[in-house]
Amino acid sequence: MSQSLRPYLQCVRSSLTAALAISNFASQTSERHNVPEVEAASSPELILNPLHISRNENEKVLIEPSVNSVRISISIKQADEIEQILVHKFDRFLTQRAESFFILRRKPVKGYDISFLITNTHTEMLLKHKLVDFVIQFMEDVDKEVSELKLFLNARARFVAESFLTPFD
Amino acid sequence: MSQLDNFRTINIDRLDPESSANFPMETLLPATLPPPETSSDAANVATQVRQLLRGGDPEGALRQVLDTAPLAGDARAKEVHLATVIEVLQGIRQGEMTRVLEGVCAGDGGSERADCLMKYLYKGMSAPAPGSGTQSPRSMSVSPQNTGGFSQIQGRNLGEGGGGQQMSVVLSWHEKLVEVAGTGSIVRVMTDRRTV
Repeated sequence: MSQSLRPYLQCVRSSLTAALAISNFASQTSERHNVPEVEAASSPELILNPLHISRNENEKVLIEPSVNSVRISISIKQADEIEQILVHKFDRFLTQRAESFFILRRKPVKGYDISFLITNTHTEMLLKHKLVDFVIQFMEDVDKEVSELKLFLNARARFVAESFLTPFD
Repeated sequence: MSQLDNFRTINIDRLDPESSANFPMETLLPATLPPPETSSDAANVATQVRQLLRGGDPEGALRQVLDTAPLAGDARAKEVHLATVIEVLQGIRQGEMTRVLEGVCAGDGGSERADCLMKYLYKGMSAPAPGSGTQSPRSMSVSPQNTGGFSQIQGRNLGEGGGGQQMSVVLSWHEKLVEVAGTGSIVRVMTDRRTV
């Protein structure tokens, strides 16, 4: 793991552990409703100060905590156009399957590539430290995956170009 | 008339003084806030702190800059003070970090200073790095000269310039501070309405 990646992930880990202290909280505006307050934004006092964590301009995490839900948005590193396309495709693949992926948000927050929404139901249903581990693991894997895909794409392009140009040899 | 056309989009909760959407946020601030500061006050503090730092007293500089945080200041004062804090943090060497931090977080009001430093660390990461301007991350990643097609020649570490350097300093401070002050400090950053 590179030198500056470790403190970055460590920072995300401790911030997430702090932010995931959430409890059941019924809506104050409509009776018998229970909505994630960070999304509804119906009462300003229930939304806590958002935490920004960034490694550089391209790799950032935004944690928006509230009384009963936490929204985590991740901006994935995209160094060139090919990585932009790959990350876009990767995100689309995941968000289309958000149904079976409990904490994934269907649409990322503006300015970020992928968002998770963790509510008190999730922290009750799943283990909190495992949720934190999952997000960290995701951030590690997605970088690895994208660079792997890029290498694969380049190898394939080279092969195609070679076989295309063989007749003109 | 145009207002009545889209009456369905009006948030009627806003018009109801009893509604939770109109919660008086000022009631969440404690009564013991320090007096409001202006950017010139913050600049004065910056000069004092710089003198301490140059005089070879990084611990005193950090202590001073955290004790004089403009909790009730305007946005400009906060910006100036943030720059001072980042300057102090960058002026302290990696090897001295733990010693300085333990000194600053000990004694009278040590935990307040730790919380204040934690607020500045998060704020330092949210602010765009100086020099990078207001460019969005998307426009950063596009190649500077248009080569007409996909180019992979440009360096992969475009963002590792001045901004990345500052972030890595802040990140290593954050790691050390969590070791000293614990997770509770982060919780207090989220819940404290006295922003820096």
